[in-house]
Amino acid sequence: MATDLRLRPPAKAPAATAAHRRRGRRLRSGLGRFAVFGAPGLLVYACFVLAPVLLSVGYSLTNYNPFHPPTEFVGLRNYRRLVTDDEFLTALKVTVELTVMLVVLPNVLGLGVAMLLDRKGWFYNAWRGAFFVPVVLSSVVVSVVWTRLLADDGLVNQTLGWVGVAPVGWLSDPSLALVSLGAIMAWQMLGFCVVVYLAGLQTVPTELLEAAAIDGAGPLSRFRHVTWPLLAPALTINTVVMLITAFKAYDHIQVITQGGPGSGTTATVAFVILQTGFTANRQGYAAAMAIVMLLVVATASAVALRLLQRREVDL
Amino acid sequence: MRTPDTAHPALRPLVVTFVGALFSVPLYVVVANAFKPGADIAPSPASFPVPPTLDNLTAVVTRSDRLFWVSLTNSLLITSLSVAVLIVLSAMLGHYLARTGSRWGRVATLVLLSGLMIPPQVILLPITQVLNAFHLMATVPGLILFNVGYYVPFGVFVFAGFVRTVPIELEQAAALDGAGWFTTFWRVVFPLLRPATASSVIFLGVWIWNDFLNPLIILGPSSGTTITTGIYRAIGQYQADFGTVFGLMFLSTLPVLALYLALQSQFVKGLTGGAAKG
Repeated sequence: MATDLRLRPPAKAPAATAAHRRRGRRLRSGLGRFAVFGAPGLLVYACFVLAPVLLSVGYSLTNYNPFHPPTEFVGLRNYRRLVTDDEFLTALKVTVELTVMLVVLPNVLGLGVAMLLDRKGWFYNAWRGAFFVPVVLSSVVVSVVWTRLLADDGLVNQTLGWVGVAPVGWLSDPSLALVSLGAIMAWQMLGFCVVVYLAGLQTVPTELLEAAAIDGAGPLSRFRHVTWPLLAPALTINTVVMLITAFKAYDHIQVITQGGPGSGTTATVAFVILQTGFTANRQGYAAAMAIVMLLVVATASAVALRLLQRREVDL
Repeated sequence: MRTPDTAHPALRPLVVTFVGALFSVPLYVVVANAFKPGADIAPSPASFPVPPTLDNLTAVVTRSDRLFWVSLTNSLLITSLSVAVLIVLSAMLGHYLARTGSRWGRVATLVLLSGLMIPPQVILLPITQVLNAFHLMATVPGLILFNVGYYVPFGVFVFAGFVRTVPIELEQAAALDGAGWFTTFWRVVFPLLRPATASSVIFLGVWIWNDFLNPLIILGPSSGTTITTGIYRAIGQYQADFGTVFGLMFLSTLPVLALYLALQSQFVKGLTGGAAKG
C-alpha cells in the first residue's frame, strides 16, 4: 500500500509517459484491492474494538454516569481512587489467586494425563476425546452442573457422607468458594492442556529417549532432561492461554457465586467492572478499572511469553 | 517417555480408565439427569436413569414461552451468520496483510493481533454506546457485527499464518493467465486455504455458540435469548425444577457436541498446528 501511495510530486513528472500511466493503473488497482480486501475487516474491527477501547480511555478520565449528569472531566481522579478502593484491591487479589490456580492446575494435571494417554490406539484416542469434551461445552452448562455437584446436599458431599466425612460448604463457605471455582474452571480447561501437551509429546524423538536410556538415564531423569525441555512450546501456549482465560473469567462467577459468598470473596476484576459499570452505572470509574485490567493482562502475557519462549530450543 | 510399559503392561489402561471415569462424572450427570424424573435429581444425582423418561425433554420443547425454540433459532442464526461473515472478511484481510509488504500493513497486523487478548469487559461498556449510535443495540444484527469485530483478529491470525505457507507463484501464474486479483483470490487462493477455513469455522463456531457475556449484555432481556442466556434465565425462573434445567442443558449441548464428534480430528489439528511450531 504505502509504496504505491508514495508517488512523486507531479511537478517532477514531465508529460504522461507510458511508465506513468502504468503507475497510475497500479495505484488504482492497489487502492481497489485495499478497499475490497483490507478495508471491510479493518473497519469492523475499528468500530467495535478499537473505538470502544479509546472511548474507555476517555470515559476513565470522567465521572460519567448515565443517570447522574452532567459528565465532567476529572483527570486521573478515578485512577487515584482505585489505589485505595478496598473492593478493587480485593478483586485484584482474587483475580491473582484464581490466575495462579488456573495456570498451575490444568498445566500440572494436563501434563500428567497427557503422559498417561501418550500411546497409540483407539482406547487412548477415545479417552483423549472425552477429556476434551468440557472444552467445547458452554461455561453456563458446566457452571450449573458443578453447582449441583458441589451443593451442600450435592453428589460430592453425599459421597463424602458414605465414608463418614461431614458435609463441606464447597460453594457456601467464604474461605473455600474461590478454590472450588478455580477447580471447576480447571476441570473445564484441562482437556485443552492435555491435547496441547500430547502434540508436544509427539515431537519428542523416540531415538533420543532410547539413547538416554542406553546411557543409563532412569525414567525421571529422561523426563527431566529430554522430554520436559522439548515440551517448552506446549508450556508456553498453555500458560499464556490460561493466563488470559483467568483474567477474563466472568461466566462461571456470574452463574455459580455472583461474587459471594460474603462480600466479594469470588469477585474478580472482570466481574467487578461489569457490576460497577452496568449495575451501579458508575461507567467512568468502571472504565478506569477496565483500562488497568487491560494493562495488567497485556504486561502479564508479554512477560510470560518472553520468559517462556527463552526456554524453547530447536532440535 | 514412549518406552514400553515392561513391568505392568495392564497398569496404564487401568489408571487411564479410573482417572478418565472420575473426570467424566459431571458429563455423565448431565446426560443421566436429563432422562430422570425431576424430583429424583437432587436426592440421587448419580443414579442410572432406569427406567428413562422423556418427560424433561418434552417439557422443554413444548414450553408455552417457546424458550428453547427461540434460543435455538437465535443461536443458530447468530453463530452461522457471524462465522460466515468472519470467514469471508478474515480470509481476504489475512491474505491482504500477509502479501502486502508495506510498513502500514505491518502496523495494521500488529494492531489487529493485539486485539486477541483484549478482554470483552474492557469494550462492553462503550460498545453499548457505539451500537446505540448505529441503532443496533439489543438487536441480533448488532450482536453479529460485534462478534465479527471482536473475533476478526483470530480469523486473520489463522488465515495470515496459513497464506504464508502457500507459494505466491500460484497467484502470479493466475495473474499472468489474465485473471484479476479478485478472481485469483476466490478461484485460486481461497480453495487452497481450506485447512485454515476448517479450523476457523470450528473454533469460531464453538466460541460464538457458547458465548454468554456478550449476548447477555448486547441482546439484553428484550430481544430474546441465545442458548446460553436461555439456560441462565431458566435457572433463575425454575430454580427447583431441575428436570427442565437438565433437559434444556442436554438439548442445547447436542448441536455443539455433534459438531465436535464429527470433526474431532480437525479440532485437534487446529489446536496443535500452533503447539508443534510454538
